[in-house]
Amino acid sequence: MSFSAVTLRLLDGFQATLFIFFVTLFASLPLGMVITACSMSKFKPLHWLTRTFVWIIRGTPLMLQVIVVFFGPGLIFDVQMRSRMTAVLVAFIINYATYFSEIYRGGIESIPIGQHEAGQVLGMSKRQIFFRIVLPQVIKRIVPPMGNEIITLVKDTSLANIIAVIELVMAAKTIVSNEHIIWPLFYIGVFYLLFCGVLTILFNFIEKKLNYYKG
Amino acid sequence: MKNKVLAVMLAVIIAVLTFGFAGCKNASSNAAASDFDAIKSSGKLVIGITIFDPMNYYAEDGVTLTGFDTDFATAACEKLGVTPEFQIINWETKEIELNAKKIDVIWNGFTVTEEGKQNIDFTNSYMFNKQCVVVKAENADKYQSTADLDGLSVVAEKGSAGEDAIQGDEFLSKNYTSVQAQTDTLLEVKSGTADAAVLDYVMAKASVGDGTSYSDLAIVEGIDLAYEEYAIGCRKGSDLDEKLNDVMAELVADGTIETIAEKYDLTANLITK
Repeated sequence: MSFSAVTLRLLDGFQATLFIFFVTLFASLPLGMVITACSMSKFKPLHWLTRTFVWIIRGTPLMLQVIVVFFGPGLIFDVQMRSRMTAVLVAFIINYATYFSEIYRGGIESIPIGQHEAGQVLGMSKRQIFFRIVLPQVIKRIVPPMGNEIITLVKDTSLANIIAVIELVMAAKTIVSNEHIIWPLFYIGVFYLLFCGVLTILFNFIEKKLNYYKG
Repeated sequence: MKNKVLAVMLAVIIAVLTFGFAGCKNASSNAAASDFDAIKSSGKLVIGITIFDPMNYYAEDGVTLTGFDTDFATAACEKLGVTPEFQIINWETKEIELNAKKIDVIWNGFTVTEEGKQNIDFTNSYMFNKQCVVVKAENADKYQSTADLDGLSVVAEKGSAGEDAIQGDEFLSKNYTSVQAQTDTLLEVKSGTADAAVLDYVMAKASVGDGTSYSDLAIVEGIDLAYEEYAIGCRKGSDLDEKLNDVMAELVADGTIETIAEKYDLTANLITK
């Protein structure tokens, strides 16, 4: 099988990879904020419920979570989730929202209490303090860890192959078993590298743009 | 205001959870009906496969699924009155796929084993494969078991199933040499540099005997190595395996299976009971 034919077929798989990546990213960014808010809530039952949830999600492999979301309903309740892609997205969004929520929380808690107090002395409302003083600093501080996590997401999309979603790795495995050639499995590394390269450049750019409060 | 924020958050969580399960289809209404009735009413049979030449694989165009099991399953589904839906799965998770009802059958050159039978209802076997011993035709009758080949020089292709079979046998492994290709093993025996060759039955059947370039060689009858049978795997307790057995019998009777086997050069492996 020729190089261009393999590339063309891998691009089909890469489309699914990109789909998982972007849907997960755009859904889990806001959902993470909700989890952060619950996690930092002064209402104790909600706080502990959320902390337990975070513990479970961070404490189990994403691969297992994908398996549980896809097979769990069928095995336990005889309820079918037919779409493999939906199962992957549900598992990924919950998992990444949880990780993002911890990054957000770290960012918010890194702002010294003195700044809140200073804001209050100046007669600012809580809302004003959060949006005008805290948030601009938080966004700037969480860019490097968020970049890290988002680049991890690119490679984690390959876990979708555990339930046979035809993403990049599964597409390569299919070609390998159909054509009896092995190089496509290594060739897909190039796709991930290029995509992560683009993201790295993007994050460098964002960091530069957010380079306020200097000195 | 705090309560309002809290209420909104809870609403969002509930919305997300509801959305997550919106894709689920409740199948419990069919729980009372038999497995086959449920499949029949859904109108399709979801067939779990992996890419496995010559059972299920992609044709030249890279999109069309072909292969012996592909054609066989399609013909069987036509008899059952359902549409076949081929679902690529990971072979390691096939039992979970089956039990979670993500697929209805495993139909992919599935080897019948005793361990497998505990979790899966197999249909009758439709195909077999084995490794066989090839020797000079005049000696073929001398051997009944591998013990009769004790100490003879044996060849097989490096890394082949034949090699595995030899290494698992105390007599064959004594004087074993690996060679580069299955066809080389036949050349070794023909030229007398080795006494016996172990290779794939289909290949041997097609390569030796009258009308071939190895007419002076023969397969030793009665020595079957690494014998395995293929069947269709259904859910434990399902009534689908009985239905498939009936359909299989029909397809054998009307010659359909024979025709499909010819297309993929597998006639020698067919089990027609």
